[in-house]
Amino acid sequence: MSLIEKFFGKKKASAESAKDRLKIMLAHERAENSFPFMDDLRKDLIEVIKKYTEVEDIHITTEKNKDIDLLEVEIVLGKSTKH
Amino acid sequence: MGIVITVTSGKGGVGKSTTTANIAVGLANEGNRVVAVDFDIGLRNLDMILGLENRIVYDVIDVMEGKCNLSQALINDKKSKGLFFLPASQTNDKDVLEREKVKNLIESLKADFDYILVDSPAGIESGFEHSIAFSDRALIISTPDVSAVRDADRVIGIIDAKSEKAKRGEEVQKHVIVNRIKPDMVERGDMLSIDDVLGILALPLIGAVPDDEGVVSSTNTGEPIVRNDKALSGEAYRRITKRIMGEDVDYMDLKAKKGFAAMFKGLFK
Repeated sequence: MSLIEKFFGKKKASAESAKDRLKIMLAHERAENSFPFMDDLRKDLIEVIKKYTEVEDIHITTEKNKDIDLLEVEIVLGKSTKH
Repeated sequence: MGIVITVTSGKGGVGKSTTTANIAVGLANEGNRVVAVDFDIGLRNLDMILGLENRIVYDVIDVMEGKCNLSQALINDKKSKGLFFLPASQTNDKDVLEREKVKNLIESLKADFDYILVDSPAGIESGFEHSIAFSDRALIISTPDVSAVRDADRVIGIIDAKSEKAKRGEEVQKHVIVNRIKPDMVERGDMLSIDDVLGILALPLIGAVPDDEGVVSSTNTGEPIVRNDKALSGEAYRRITKRIMGEDVDYMDLKAKKGFAAMFKGLFK
C-alpha cells in the first residue's frame, strides 16, 4: 500500500476478496464432495419410508463443521388428506 | 523400486507439463534414472516442452497394447543422460487406457527407474484417474487465482478415492507447487500469496515458482529452464527437485524488486 493510499484509504485489496470467496465456496463444495452417496441414499430412504407411509420427497442437506459432519434429512409426506 | 509421482492440477493451463519436464530434467541431472510419461492422451505436449518431438516412434498406448517393447518406445534425452520419455498417443479415443494395462506399465517402469513422473491430463475424468491410480506421491500445481485453487482443492479431495495406495490403507503423499507467483502483485495485495494458497488447500508446500518470461522462451526452444543457471524459475525447479529427493533446501526469497524508482512510483500509484 502506498503512502497516499494510506492517507486517503483505498478499496479492499482484491487478493482479500479472492481469499474470502474461495473459503466460502470451498467449505460448501467440500461438504458435497465428502458425501458422494447422496443420490443413492435419497432413493433408498424413499423406498424404506414407502413401506410405512406415502412420501412425496426427501431433502438431504449437509453440514460440515470443524469437528462434526451432519446430514439433515427432511421427509415430505405430502398433503394430509385423512383426519 | 522406483517412486511414482503424478503431476496434476484439475485446471488446465497452470503449468503441469512444464513442471513435469523441469522436474524430470532436474532429477536426471542429479544423477537419477528418470522416466517422464505423458498421460494426456490425445493432446500430446510434453514432447515439445522437452524438445524431443522429432524422435517419437512409438507411444504409451503402443506399449500397453503390446505393439512394441517398452525399450523401443522410450526416448533417451541426449542432454540429460538419465532421462527417458514416454510420449502420449494422439488417438481420439479417450477411453483407450485400461486400468490393468496401466498397472502393468507402471510396474515395469518401477523396476527400471528411480522416479516415474506422470503428467496427468486436466480435468477429473478417466485419464486423470488412471494417472493417479498407482502413484506414491502427487504434486498439485496451482497458480494463485481463484479458478486454479478451486480446481486444485477438488482434485486433492478425490486423489485418495482413486488411488490403489489408499485402498491398501496408506495415503498418497501430497505437496503443492504454487506456480507463476508475481511478487509485486502479492505485495500490492492484488494476488493471493503462497501462504494464502496453502492455507486454503491445507497441504504442505514443496516449492513456489516465480512468473518468468524465460519459461515461455524455453518452451519455444524445447529447452527446459531448469538447465538455465541464471533463471530464477530454473533455480526454483532445482530446489523442488532436491526437496523431492528428501533434501532440506531453503525457500527462495520471492520479493518484489525495489529500486529507488519503484519506491518513488509506489508513492504516487
